[in-house]
Amino acid sequence: MLSIKNLHASVEGKEILKGINLEIKAGEVHAIMGPNGSGKSTLSQVLAGNEAFEITSGEVTLNGDNLLDLATEERAREGIFLAFQYPVEIPGVSNLQFLRTAVNAMRKHRGEEEMNAAEFMKLAKEVSRQVDLDPAFLKRGVNEGFSGGEKKRNEIMQALLLQPKLAILDETDSGLDIDALQVVSNGVNALRAEDRAILMVTHYQRLLNHIVPDYVHVLAGGKIVKSGGRELALELEERGYGWLGIKDEDTSN
Amino acid sequence: MKPAPTLSSAFLHPAGQTLPEPLLALRKQRASALVNMPLPTRKTENWKYSSKYLKLSDDMAISLPAEGKAGTSLAIPGYKVVFTNGVMIPEASEYPDLDGISIQSFSDLDADEAQTLSVQLGSTLDHEQAQFARVNGARFEDGLLIRLQPGAVLDQPLFIIHNTAADACGSAYPRIYVEAGANSQMTLVEEYTSNGEAAVLVNTVTEFNLADGARITSIRLNMEGEQVQHIGATGVLQAQNSRFESHCVGFGGQLRRHDLQVRLEGEGAETKLNGVVVTQGKQHYDNHTSIDHVAANCNSEETYRNIAADQSHAIFNGRIHIHQDAQKSNADMNNKNLLLNNGAEIDTKPELEIYADDVKCAHGATIGQLDETSLFYLVSRGIGRREANVLLTMAFINELVSQIPVQAVRETAQLRLNDFFEQTFQEI
Repeated sequence: MLSIKNLHASVEGKEILKGINLEIKAGEVHAIMGPNGSGKSTLSQVLAGNEAFEITSGEVTLNGDNLLDLATEERAREGIFLAFQYPVEIPGVSNLQFLRTAVNAMRKHRGEEEMNAAEFMKLAKEVSRQVDLDPAFLKRGVNEGFSGGEKKRNEIMQALLLQPKLAILDETDSGLDIDALQVVSNGVNALRAEDRAILMVTHYQRLLNHIVPDYVHVLAGGKIVKSGGRELALELEERGYGWLGIKDEDTSN
Repeated sequence: MKPAPTLSSAFLHPAGQTLPEPLLALRKQRASALVNMPLPTRKTENWKYSSKYLKLSDDMAISLPAEGKAGTSLAIPGYKVVFTNGVMIPEASEYPDLDGISIQSFSDLDADEAQTLSVQLGSTLDHEQAQFARVNGARFEDGLLIRLQPGAVLDQPLFIIHNTAADACGSAYPRIYVEAGANSQMTLVEEYTSNGEAAVLVNTVTEFNLADGARITSIRLNMEGEQVQHIGATGVLQAQNSRFESHCVGFGGQLRRHDLQVRLEGEGAETKLNGVVVTQGKQHYDNHTSIDHVAANCNSEETYRNIAADQSHAIFNGRIHIHQDAQKSNADMNNKNLLLNNGAEIDTKPELEIYADDVKCAHGATIGQLDETSLFYLVSRGIGRREANVLLTMAFINELVSQIPVQAVRETAQLRLNDFFEQTFQEI
């Protein structure tokens, strides 16, 4: 489904990704772990199409099509979804209006009829229950005044509504208490499907107790330095990153 | 040295002579005071940014005939008064005959009533600041007088449709006076529209005089065509414990100017002024507001937002004057501005004069651009760029638009603003 070959990317002239290679097949769940500053979030942002990052070389294809040629909104319509590490607050745009506009943009792209307000309200209420978010949140501004956990649940709710081919979850576990982590994980697990891939970016392995990955990759210094199965995550938890020759002052949890 | 420009004498001659004698006399007296009235230049402080958009010609002095089809974009659920080219048209109006509420055209007043009105007209305004209200005083024709007896409550909003329909150059001078008796209440909607491509001047004055405990909500929608030069003034006098609430939504044009002056003269009076302005192309819009806290214990809350695209120009000048005896005044003024293009210009100026020592007075003004992170968030969900820009731009003013208390107006304003931004971002 997703194929990344020798991807290099920089921001403000500083190279962050230094040759990423990664293959993700439909139905698989991959976790990317690594210390702070290793390039995890940059990879997520680059895949979603944030123009603040410059791709200097390499290629990324989604089901054989060149992803890097597509604008952010086109990537989303082709099935890329990024759950933001820091979801943006947009006062003045109601969550409901935002979600319906997004869902309808996707439907229009697929040649389906747009949903009217009443139809969408019904759907949105169902999905909001799935992530344990009070439907009252639909009427508030996008993420406006939401707690950290509510923001993350709102991200997962969007993924459930938009039904992407590839869901990228950037530090979705950060700032969650144990109950919220459970709710968010249930939401993500509900996304698992044969025709869908999930890429989780995380600093800690605790998320992986709830969402069990098929593959784990360690990103350091802008490259994937080790790949393995889920046991690699457990080993990292036990031994830290040091044994891989990676410095990380920030991994002690 | 070039002599300072003055108002052409062509502007001193009103057309209609159908008004009751005291009003004809008033108009004549006001006209004589207009001889050699200096026109604003860029050296005129309160017209500094706007004088260059003012283009008066002698043929514009001609009063437009009170004919033509009245246009409105509102679905009006109830009472309405129609003005065509500045003249009230009673036949086209529909309003109630309710106890304690009198809605009349100036020409229907008897001599005594007209005499009373002639003393009141202009009494709510500082004409030094709203110079063009003087021109209206010399030129108004059949206007609208609303008197609410004490305790009278108008059960639904009164819509006033001001339509300018012109095939040729000319001007219109609508005039409205509202006297709200003690504890009376009403909501008044003024919509300004136009059709026809001729260059015209629309010079308006609306006055509100609120007695103790009166409550007035005023909504003003300015949706005239590009070529209209609109210079309007609204004067508000507030007695004890009265409450005035204003919602203005304005779309730019060749020249748009609105002076809104509020005097809080009785203790416990409250005023709330909301304003939204959008401009694109080479449009202009200038809001000058002024709040005088004359009495103690009054509250004022003012929130204005400007959005300027392309090479357009929006101006906000907000003056708050807290007089010496106005202790315990509470005044809050906020003006936020959004520049959508590098070529657009926004000038904002808060003017605070405080002569009392025990007051709370806050003001803030910001100018910014659309947030890139928010934009990325929206498009990352598949929302198109144009739509994302429109959503974020609407978000900047939604807080104010959603406060418009009359549904028909709120919905029309939302639709028109949305269309406006769709056009603004059509290249994206």
